[in-house]
Amino acid sequence: MIETFYETLRRQGITRRSFLKFCSLTATSLGLGSAFAPRIAHALETKPRTPVIWLHGLECTCCSESFIRSAHPLAKDVVLSMLSLDYDDTLMAAAGHQAEAILEEIKKKYKGQYILAVEGNPPLNEGGMYCIQSGKPFVEKLKYMAADAKAIISWGSCASWGCVQAAKPNPTQAVPVHKVITDKPIIKVPGCPPIAEVMTGVVTYMLTFDRIPELDRQGRPKMFYGQRIHDKCYRRPHFDAGQFVEEWDDDAARRGYCLYKMGCKGPTTYNACSTTRWNGGVSFPIASGHGCIGCSEEGFWDKGGFYDRLTHIKQFGVEANADKVGGTAAAVAGAAVAAHAAVSAIKRARVNHAEENQGGK
Amino acid sequence: MGVYETQGFKLDNSGKRVVVDPVCRIEGHLRVEVNLDANNVIRNAVSTGTMWRGLEVILKGRDPRDAWAFTERICGVCTGTHALTSVRAVEDALAIKIPENANTIRNMMQLTLQVHDHLVHFYHLHALDWVDVVSALKADPKRTSELAQSISAWPLSSPGYFRDLQNRLKKFVESGQLGPFMNGYWGNPAYKLPPEANLMAVAHYLEALDFQKEIVKIHTIFGGKNPHPNWLVGGMPCAINVHDTGAVGAINMERLNLVKSIIDRSIEFTEQVYIPDLLAIASFYKGWLHGGGLSSKSVLSYGDIPDRANDYSAKNLLLPRGAIINGDLTRVHEVDLKDPEQIQEFVTHSWYKYADEARGLHPFDGVTEPNFALGKNAKGTKTDIKELDEAAKYSWIKAPRWRGHAMEVGPLARYIIGYVQKNPEFKEPVDMVLKKLDVPLSALFSTLGRTAARGLECQWAAHKLAYFHDKLIANIKAGDSSTANIEKWDPATWPKEVKGAGFTEAPRGALAHWIRIKDGRIDNYQCVVPTTWNGSPRDGKGQIGAFEASLMNTPMAKADEPLEILRTIHSFDPCLACSTH
Amino acid sequence: MSLARDSSSYHDMATATGVDEAAVQQAPSIKSMYVYEAPVRLWHWVNALCIVTLAASGYLIGSPLPSMPGEASDSFLFGYIRFAHFAAAYILAVGFLVRIYWGFAGNSHAREIFTLPLLTAAYWREVGAMLQWYAFLRPYPNRYVGHNPLARLAMFFGVFLMTLFMLATGFALYGEGAQAGHWSHILFTSWVIPLFGQSQDVHTWHHLGMWAIVLFVIFHVYAAIREDIMGRQSMLSTMISGYRMLKK
Ligand code: HEM
Ligand code: HEM
Ligand code: NFV
Ligand code: SF4
Ligand code: SF4
Ligand code: F3S
Ligand SMILES: [Mg+2]
Repeated sequence: MIETFYETLRRQGITRRSFLKFCSLTATSLGLGSAFAPRIAHALETKPRTPVIWLHGLECTCCSESFIRSAHPLAKDVVLSMLSLDYDDTLMAAAGHQAEAILEEIKKKYKGQYILAVEGNPPLNEGGMYCIQSGKPFVEKLKYMAADAKAIISWGSCASWGCVQAAKPNPTQAVPVHKVITDKPIIKVPGCPPIAEVMTGVVTYMLTFDRIPELDRQGRPKMFYGQRIHDKCYRRPHFDAGQFVEEWDDDAARRGYCLYKMGCKGPTTYNACSTTRWNGGVSFPIASGHGCIGCSEEGFWDKGGFYDRLTHIKQFGVEANADKVGGTAAAVAGAAVAAHAAVSAIKRARVNHAEENQGGK
Repeated sequence: MGVYETQGFKLDNSGKRVVVDPVCRIEGHLRVEVNLDANNVIRNAVSTGTMWRGLEVILKGRDPRDAWAFTERICGVCTGTHALTSVRAVEDALAIKIPENANTIRNMMQLTLQVHDHLVHFYHLHALDWVDVVSALKADPKRTSELAQSISAWPLSSPGYFRDLQNRLKKFVESGQLGPFMNGYWGNPAYKLPPEANLMAVAHYLEALDFQKEIVKIHTIFGGKNPHPNWLVGGMPCAINVHDTGAVGAINMERLNLVKSIIDRSIEFTEQVYIPDLLAIASFYKGWLHGGGLSSKSVLSYGDIPDRANDYSAKNLLLPRGAIINGDLTRVHEVDLKDPEQIQEFVTHSWYKYADEARGLHPFDGVTEPNFALGKNAKGTKTDIKELDEAAKYSWIKAPRWRGHAMEVGPLARYIIGYVQKNPEFKEPVDMVLKKLDVPLSALFSTLGRTAARGLECQWAAHKLAYFHDKLIANIKAGDSSTANIEKWDPATWPKEVKGAGFTEAPRGALAHWIRIKDGRIDNYQCVVPTTWNGSPRDGKGQIGAFEASLMNTPMAKADEPLEILRTIHSFDPCLACSTH
Repeated sequence: MSLARDSSSYHDMATATGVDEAAVQQAPSIKSMYVYEAPVRLWHWVNALCIVTLAASGYLIGSPLPSMPGEASDSFLFGYIRFAHFAAAYILAVGFLVRIYWGFAGNSHAREIFTLPLLTAAYWREVGAMLQWYAFLRPYPNRYVGHNPLARLAMFFGVFLMTLFMLATGFALYGEGAQAGHWSHILFTSWVIPLFGQSQDVHTWHHLGMWAIVLFVIFHVYAAIREDIMGRQSMLSTMISGYRMLKK
């Protein structure tokens, strides 16, 4: 017998009345209006818990760590009541072949119905053996489990973009999930790691509405990644006023001025940090005095120093940024023009002189 | 290979080979292979790190001030400790002195990690090695309540509370969707707890899952987020402003109060839940004293938590520093990270290449060049390994050695060294536990001892958090609000070529980074990480690492259920992303 | 090189190369020719002003002035700098559209900066001639009624394409702040950001674009003044009055 989400709630002592209230709250909090409440209720009443297979490639497990920080809903409710976390290296009781047997079972029993959550990414170098699982390259396991999945969630910047192990020179040739799985819907939830409540928000959205959230062109849910940190940063008034932290721990830093000059990447980073904030809304990087390093953006490791506002331009030498490249070019051009003007003036004087001489004859 | 002896262990790989891959409930990817004799006793152990990302290669040529962010991503579980180690290495190289407050806040960050990591390890990564979830269904809630109330004043302990939980658990199991508990080793005879203790432990598994997210808020307050809070070379990025206009934009009274309330609750949880659970569980397992491995022979700790800023000498470190070798508990050796003779890494059995593999390299001159190959006696193919050949290269983990010795690091190592140094902060709690459980000192050198030391350290760290919180406030009161020293922020002020080392005691043990800086850029960066020590493969002399040693001579109740292997390996809290980085 | 004056392709060739000896032959009697119509001249100077404003404000966006003291509500300096940038950007965009329209509606010279007679060998010969003139290898340049062929080349890349690039990247960045649904987001942000991969790279290239334009302006202004003095046709006054005066 398989239990539905509704039954799960009921057996946790939740009455039908408060269940329906939950549904209408969910509907309004998602901006859907109360008309959606019955639909949510129906969906939750009839579904068995969706199996989730959570695979780990090359990663640091911070995405899992972030996930269990979720305050609403609580991670334990997501994992034990809302879905069925049937495979996750980090939490599961089983190991070895008992663990691997679960993959076979879910793949068969829930063909096309389970969600594949991927943390980290597959390396392709050395036949994939920079990440070995059960003696084989991780990329094989990933492809094998993706084949029968309903949808794939790429957790974090590793799975979404490649992240730190894919930073130059990417010795293991680590690639994001979408480079090896091309025939399944992939929802990218980038961030290093992503915010806990964004992770559980995406999952509960999928379970509740039985659909994939609307994605932007780069595959991220618009609802959490549609705006930049900077668009809703509470330090924005200081930005507009031209009030910046000039050096660490200066007066401006102590007053919480804008971190733009300290290299804040808020203006170029799409994430929900400045609104949803971190760890139950306690803070987010900027609110604790360090600029955003752009951890949810593709390739953020290779855009130059975290404290430079202008990106490093590798093509033009080691220490260059746009102003150095451009400024140098302009100076060279200016000098060339001046020299050319000087030569032109001399030539002209000579020609005039010659003409005068001719005229004199 | 046949039979040989090393470090007092007799290795024999002739028996039945059992492979455990993946080892779950750890960070990262680990494979263990053991050989069992006819009585299902482990006579040979092989542990293999099966992932490598190349952070040391990636760091080359980058800005040293950014290195903390890269190295922090070595691990999201011991998040922050690599970042702290990294800023210390850079500051050491450039002779940067940090403000007192920055030191205090860094200590609080590190202690927060200790508390969090240990708690999560015990309940969510380790407990299921001791606790049979399914057996909890048979418990009597009333007697569970009595048990809970007899060991602790923790208020969530009524019969109704446990009955309700048991009902939910029942329905959960009946649902047929067991989630993370699927295919567990339920009913294995190695489980010893009575159903009531199992039920209590399940309740605390869930409570701890809810509570752990509170502890890390200290990271969030000072570092902006967790996992992966922010750091700064020269201090901390969070400015302090408690008196003036704009204080709401910095660390202010409200923030400090929030930190305090989290510390109070953390002390409460460790003392009323974690420690009592630990003692209760241990009391049922005190006959199972396997898994000591290297702990009674060679242990190492760098020390950490500098009381005052910028003094990294042993006397200023609140966590003990030193090395014990060959089981000589009368002597604690001094440890010097920069002495080329002390710490060296070998790759004879690791998937890396050295010009001369007979020799080890000190991390200042360390080389990280991958070289994947299987030995001739390995079974399977290069991309489908059935059995490894431990006579050849067999792991992505390098083999660090201290003066040639394989060492165990971690909470147990710290507590042994603190105990031997007669430091009351470490000796007294250990004696208390030994007395409570009525076991001799030798019981400390075991899987259970490792697990107990971690719990004690969690409690210690929670109290030290309170100490540093007071210290922070006292220093602000004395008129010092400074958090960063920017004198050498600009690379133009740096010497052309420098090198430095930074260290911490990470939750899993001694951690250090070595950096060489040339023309403002990273010239070489090497990390030797706790799990590099503990999970190390054999070296050229055939010496085994701490994981391997700990598995030796352990009897298994069922050859095809690796419960004992998991139990002992988990007691180290392995982190494979860390180990290979 | 002699071109049959009555050749049917003569006019095309003159358009391609800017060499119009027929017009020059008549010069003594005409003295001057009307080249730049009023909209072109007006656009030129408005556009120049916009670009100076954009480069100055853009530079300050990249490297802001020292921090302002006091309350955030007391000043709006960075806001104004950005406003100047965006206001100039809108004027630049509208002017550019109008100028394109005039490329169709105006005289043949009005089209010159939008096209290049890439396949006309004579055009490249004249480019070569101009280069020789600048390299002091020729005593005199040819006389050109429209843009000289080298200028035309520089304008096609330095003005036409660079303006397109700056408009696309600039409005893509602008659309990020204007948010999804804004025309600039729909027309530019939606594809420009994914094309570059992410926003930070667009900033970088937009910033580099500024320097490319600065280079163009340096050469352009120098050349204009130099031609005015040393060349065989009027320059500055032409961009003011519209009439080209040819010297011997
Ligand atoms: C941001 C700065 C400027 C830009 C982008 C710019 C662009 C242009 C363009 C596109 C043309 C061709 C006009 C057409 O056919 O529509 C042109 C012509 C001209 N510009 Fe500028 N201009 C700038 C600044 C200036 C300045 C400061 C001067 C004067 C010192 C100047 C003098 C001229 C002259 C004399 C011509 C006519 C060239 C000819 O007769 O072939 N320009 N400029
Ligand atoms: C000649 C044309 C232009 C020049 C020279 C120019 C120059 C610049 C420069 C140097 C920056 C700073 C980039 C950085 O370091 O982040 C910038 C930013 C920007 N420009 Fe332009 N720009 C031009 C045209 C435009 C246009 C047509 C738009 C359209 C609206 C535009 C919109 C922006 C925006 C939105 C920013 C970013 C502002 C911010 O981050 O607050 N620009 N521009
Ligand atoms: N080993 C290890 Fe760590 C720790 N503790 C780091 O230094 O876990 Ni990821
Ligand atoms: S995305 Fe970042 S946080 Fe997540 S696993 Fe990768 S490195 Fe860790
Ligand atoms: S701190 Fe960063 S995100 Fe916030 S306003 Fe300043 S630049 Fe934007
Ligand atoms: S660094 Fe990452 S956590 Fe948010 S504020 Fe920036 S995206
Ligand atoms: Mg290393």
